[in-house]
Amino acid sequence: MLAIRNLSKTYANGVQALKNVTLDIPTGMFGLLGPNGAGKSTLMRTLATLQDADSGSAHLGELDLLHDKQAARATLGYLPQEFGVYPKEAAYTMLDHFAMLKGVVNAGERREVVEGLLKQVNLWDVRGHKLGGFSGGMRQRFGIAQALIGNPKLIIVDEPTAGLDPEERNRFLNLLAEIGEQVVVILSTHIVEDVTDLCPRMAIIARGEVKLAGEPHEAIASLDGRIWRKTIAKGALADYQQRMNVLSTRLVGGQTVIHVLADALPEAGFEGIAPDLEDVYFGQLRAAAPAALAA
Amino acid sequence: MLRTMLSFELRQQLGNPVLWIVAVVFALLAFGASSSDAVQLGGSIGNINRNAPSTIVTLLSGFSSLSMLLVAIFVAGTALRDFDNRTAELFFTTPVHKRDYLLGRFGGGLFACCVVMAAVAIGMFVGYFMPWVDAARMGPHSAAPYLWSLFVIVIPNLFFIAAALFCLAVTTRSMLATYIGVIAFFALSAVMETLTADLDARWVGGLLDPFGGQAIINATRYWSTVERNTQLPDLGGVLLLNRLIWSAVAAGLLWLAYRLFRTDREGFTLRRRKAKATAIDLAAPTPATVPQVTLQTGSGAQWRQFLHQAWFDTRGVLRGAPLLVMLGFGMMILIISLMFTGQIFGTELYPTTARMSQSIAGAFNLFLLIVVTFYAGELIWRERSMRVAEVTDAFPNADWIPLAAKLVALTAVVLLFYASGIVVTMGYQLSKGYTHLQPLLYLQQMLINTSGFVMLAALALAVQVLSNNKFIGYLLMVVYIISRIALGILDFDDNLYRPFGAPAVPYSDMNGFGHFLPGFLWFRLYWGAFAGLLLLASLLMWVRGNRSVLNERIKEARRRFGIGQAITAALLLATFIGSGMYVRYNTKVLAADPPTNEYLAGDDALDRQADYERAYRQYKGDPQPRITSMRSDVDIYPAERRVRMRGSYRLVNHHDAAIDVLHVEIPRGLITHSLSFGEHSVELDDPIQGVARYRLNTPLAAGAELNFDFDLEYFPRGFGNDAGPTQVVENGTFFNNGVMPVLGYNESREMQDRNERRKRDLGDVPRMAKIDDEAARANTYLRQDADWVDFETTVSTSEDQIALAPGYLQREWTEKGRRYFHYKMDVPMLPFAAWLSARWEVKRGEWKGIPIEVYYHPTHAFNVDRMIEAAQKSFDYYNVNFTPYQHKQLRIIEFPGYSSFAQAFANTVPYSEAIGFVADLRKQEDIDYVFYVTAHEVAHQWWAHQVIGANVQGSTMLSESLSQYSALMVMEKEYGRHQMRRFLKYELDLYLQSRAGELIEELPLALVENQQYIHYRKGSLVFYALKEAIGEETLNAVLKRFLEDKGYQQPPYTTSREFLAYLREGTDPKHHPLIADLFEKIVFHDNRVKSAKAVKRDDGKYLVTLELHSSKVEAAGKGEETKLNVDDSFQIGIFARPKGGEEVDETVLYLQRHPINSEATTLEIVVDGEPYDAGIDPYNTLIDRDSNDNRRRVDVE
Repeated sequence: MLAIRNLSKTYANGVQALKNVTLDIPTGMFGLLGPNGAGKSTLMRTLATLQDADSGSAHLGELDLLHDKQAARATLGYLPQEFGVYPKEAAYTMLDHFAMLKGVVNAGERREVVEGLLKQVNLWDVRGHKLGGFSGGMRQRFGIAQALIGNPKLIIVDEPTAGLDPEERNRFLNLLAEIGEQVVVILSTHIVEDVTDLCPRMAIIARGEVKLAGEPHEAIASLDGRIWRKTIAKGALADYQQRMNVLSTRLVGGQTVIHVLADALPEAGFEGIAPDLEDVYFGQLRAAAPAALAA
Repeated sequence: MLRTMLSFELRQQLGNPVLWIVAVVFALLAFGASSSDAVQLGGSIGNINRNAPSTIVTLLSGFSSLSMLLVAIFVAGTALRDFDNRTAELFFTTPVHKRDYLLGRFGGGLFACCVVMAAVAIGMFVGYFMPWVDAARMGPHSAAPYLWSLFVIVIPNLFFIAAALFCLAVTTRSMLATYIGVIAFFALSAVMETLTADLDARWVGGLLDPFGGQAIINATRYWSTVERNTQLPDLGGVLLLNRLIWSAVAAGLLWLAYRLFRTDREGFTLRRRKAKATAIDLAAPTPATVPQVTLQTGSGAQWRQFLHQAWFDTRGVLRGAPLLVMLGFGMMILIISLMFTGQIFGTELYPTTARMSQSIAGAFNLFLLIVVTFYAGELIWRERSMRVAEVTDAFPNADWIPLAAKLVALTAVVLLFYASGIVVTMGYQLSKGYTHLQPLLYLQQMLINTSGFVMLAALALAVQVLSNNKFIGYLLMVVYIISRIALGILDFDDNLYRPFGAPAVPYSDMNGFGHFLPGFLWFRLYWGAFAGLLLLASLLMWVRGNRSVLNERIKEARRRFGIGQAITAALLLATFIGSGMYVRYNTKVLAADPPTNEYLAGDDALDRQADYERAYRQYKGDPQPRITSMRSDVDIYPAERRVRMRGSYRLVNHHDAAIDVLHVEIPRGLITHSLSFGEHSVELDDPIQGVARYRLNTPLAAGAELNFDFDLEYFPRGFGNDAGPTQVVENGTFFNNGVMPVLGYNESREMQDRNERRKRDLGDVPRMAKIDDEAARANTYLRQDADWVDFETTVSTSEDQIALAPGYLQREWTEKGRRYFHYKMDVPMLPFAAWLSARWEVKRGEWKGIPIEVYYHPTHAFNVDRMIEAAQKSFDYYNVNFTPYQHKQLRIIEFPGYSSFAQAFANTVPYSEAIGFVADLRKQEDIDYVFYVTAHEVAHQWWAHQVIGANVQGSTMLSESLSQYSALMVMEKEYGRHQMRRFLKYELDLYLQSRAGELIEELPLALVENQQYIHYRKGSLVFYALKEAIGEETLNAVLKRFLEDKGYQQPPYTTSREFLAYLREGTDPKHHPLIADLFEKIVFHDNRVKSAKAVKRDDGKYLVTLELHSSKVEAAGKGEETKLNVDDSFQIGIFARPKGGEEVDETVLYLQRHPINSEATTLEIVVDGEPYDAGIDPYNTLIDRDSNDNRRRVDVE
């Protein structure tokens, strides 16, 4: 279990990226949901030992991640948001290089590890191809292979599905689900479906603060009977936003559909619907944002 | 639209702070160059004003080549900006024309560069007005040279470079390719410089140099001081052509950029398949098992990770196309420098491994500096620019691995360059049929020469890591390079302060690396420890993850600074300080006691020299006895580099009054064990200057004699800050009697540089005594304390060496493991002797019973027979035409190539291994300078060793010019009269070029004040022209009479004026105006053939009609010229050549002297054969600044 306590970080330019973040993350997939700039990447990088927090702690079992950096790195698998490779290297050589740097120094062992991982992420057949020619999904799978070297206890995956087409995304999430059974996997994303589909536990983070942490179905259950939907005229949106707690607006077939959070039917024409994680997410974001900016 | 684009671009550029920063930095550099006295760039030396037009032109041209970096930033950077900022699509979807877009970008960038260069011109101009600039060295201020340079040189250059780099940038869309373009230009301009080393290829270099620098050098090559101070080069001829050609090329490149530019694709790829997305992507996962492994982080694992990363980085660098391109350019520079350097009179040297292995470092020095700087940036930023760092920084590998791996990769680059250089030079050796390859020597030189670059690599890595900004890292390296040069100029040349400095390690086939290695290695250890500390600092400050803010980096550094790092730092610091102290102890303490290797910064040495003059000039002319005999026992210990000299002078008082004070000077650095010369007291003892004055208890009465015994020792201790003295070495010792005591004030120790004198208030430059100074005729120009002396010496050396000195061997024996040689000269000789010792082979020849011996290094047998032959032929000529040879033997002796000269002592001629012994004379058509130099040195046995001039103006003409003439005659006998032109052309070129470097004033030959370009170069030309005019026999008869009358003369010594009197007496008065022109004036002819036509007559003969131009001017000492009337007789020649033949194959159809007394002359001459070319003064015997137009192809109708 990963225990994060009171983690805070303020950048030199005054931006407070993390405010007193406290989270308990058990084994299994954990979704970290938040909009761009919420502080997700700061939290991920801090856990991945790539930057330092101003205060707070993070322990993986007995291991102090923030202070015992080398030991932390040895138990860590990290797929950063912008994962780069040398375009002229073949997948096999590159992974072999990574395995070496990570500490699999025995040549025989390394061969088995690299081979196993490439097969696991389904890149074995293209092992001799240059990475520059890989598609986005293949590259992300290669990234996961890299993160899995050395059986990490903590796997951190930062925005892995951004930019993937639906099929590639599915394939990638399946891969994650497979490995997320024995170890802690933190999946940071701003795409709600990633979490819905995969994560038994989650947290929502916005403006550096944890807004909600728990199991998705509990969070959804808390909104039972409080989400209302209506198809409205385009020009009327501002009016609704002023009067009600509009969680989201969406265009469906060219018409504006809004979701509103209310304990009772807000007005005629609304219909009650079963809440989903997206409503939870937007609900938290609305609560976090100053009212005037809500849109 | 173009206007909108252009004004948009100008606003962009002018609003860019980088432009203003760069402009200020460049302006400051220019200001420094013009206002600092120490900077002597641009040829502002001697009498040339600091702000002479030619100096301004040279400086601004120099800055315009430097500006390539600006162009890379402002023009190429601009071209790529829209692609880097991803704003390209924005522009290309607007209705902007491609032409307007490109021209706008290009024009704006070019304008920015022009702004910087204008700042340079302003900085320079302001610099000259600074109050500390020596007003005596300033000419009138004028804007003309600045404007001329800007519009003729700078702007066309910027236009060309900008167009080239712009074209490269828009077609490749790669800054990397652009940088490589910049490096390629540096390589090309280096090639241009070497190309112009060849006399006949100069105009080619002038045309090919895109920067016009060579064209300007060619146009101003023969300019006098006055011309340099007042004139700008003519904008015509090769210079104009060059400017036009390269501007046209630039326009073409711009057009090419326009044609190749595509808005819709990612740059321009040449026959390169664009990597396609890999298609194979199976849907079904392959079942796999990943084994459980434990990650290892122990030291063994770290080592293997390091090796792997080093291999990975090295492979990454070596596989890249940029490296191959740069390697190609590096090899090109090397090959060209191999082909064109080391030539003397156009004749090559054998490609000995000693020379080849040193030329690799020479060719690569600057280039490799750029390459290392460039790759340090590339390597440090590789992971981050590829965004791999986010992954690898989170791996559990140790912090030191990436940095160390990058150092290995850079080292590999250096070694690869050097190793490729070795392959190329070996190939070159084999292509020249030279098979003594010596791979071990190559390897040793490689280790010596690359060690500095590895330290440089550490520095380049450190500045990249510490600055954590690639551009600033590069800038810091440029600052480092400039400050290194600046430190040298400002006389901070102590290698303890000069980063990565070390004394040179000269290599000689004779002496190997000699004693030079230990000092070098200590300095390397010292700076190596420093480089280690830099690397350690970089390791601590290494950015891992997102910690780029300074206090985060410091926090990280603190965390990293564990016990291991502390120990390493302590060890490195201890090594740095310890070796520094040891070096200091050697260079400052040991080397100064005795001060043989003593280190003095350049200006301190000059101050000391000034002190000598101030303190002791009062004793000039102070009566001193004369030395009449020199006897010595000299023990040479080659392995210890030690010499013990016990000697005795016999002194005689030739003055009318008694002498009561002896003024004795012994060179600083010698240990004086004892001096004994009767009862005396010490009046003055100045060990710093090596001057002592002793008061004799019993004054030396007029005509009385006195023995002066000395016991001196030369024994350097420690090692010096530089290579130090090279006279006494393990194999190849050669020193002369400069190391023995001298009596009286020594004028030759006075400072000659006018500006340095002025700084020290020393008054005018000491000049040689005037030719009519009768008092000065009491001495020869060699020394002031002796005339002809009896000479005898016993010299000993180690058992395996031969020791030599002037005189004849009386006895040779071995005693206690040492070899002794007793030499004695049977006639009085000049007080000028040398001692030599080495392991030589000896080749013996003879001339009419006189033995001729060549002592040479066993692997240098190439030209030994030729030397013997030259000596024989010289004896043939001189004995017949002059007087008999005074000695019974002649010895030519090779000494190590630490200096390259030959010098004639009585019957003994030391000759450097760097010149004659390794000259490659296998090509028949090459000038055989071995033959020539040998003949010259043999001629000195007459000219100097029989007749020697007084210590007044013109005396070196009597020894040097006459030796040149004698050698020329031996050459002429050997090779034929028509071959002399090729040789004399080199002499003419050297004379004309060196005039501008004159520090005081140019004098006519008969008044030469030991100016080498006059007594050697002009001397050859003058005597050859004289011979052509009055005839060989007449001239030789005069010389013979002069030798007979003045040989072995006692004071007063003869002068050039006496020689001219003999000459006038011995020649027809009609030649006397010519003699005045040649010897007493500085005269330049302008002879040329304006047209040459020939008509075949019915009788099969040809009627040749020549239109000739002939004028002449007389120059004053600084070059001011006045026109003279032409009233001379010149040789007119008409020549035939076989079809396809060269000048060597030509035959003379007609060669006669014609009186010419007007500027334009037309001659009609009938010749028997078909003429090829014709000329006035066709053999270039007269001094003419354009010697090529003396001849012209004949148009045969």
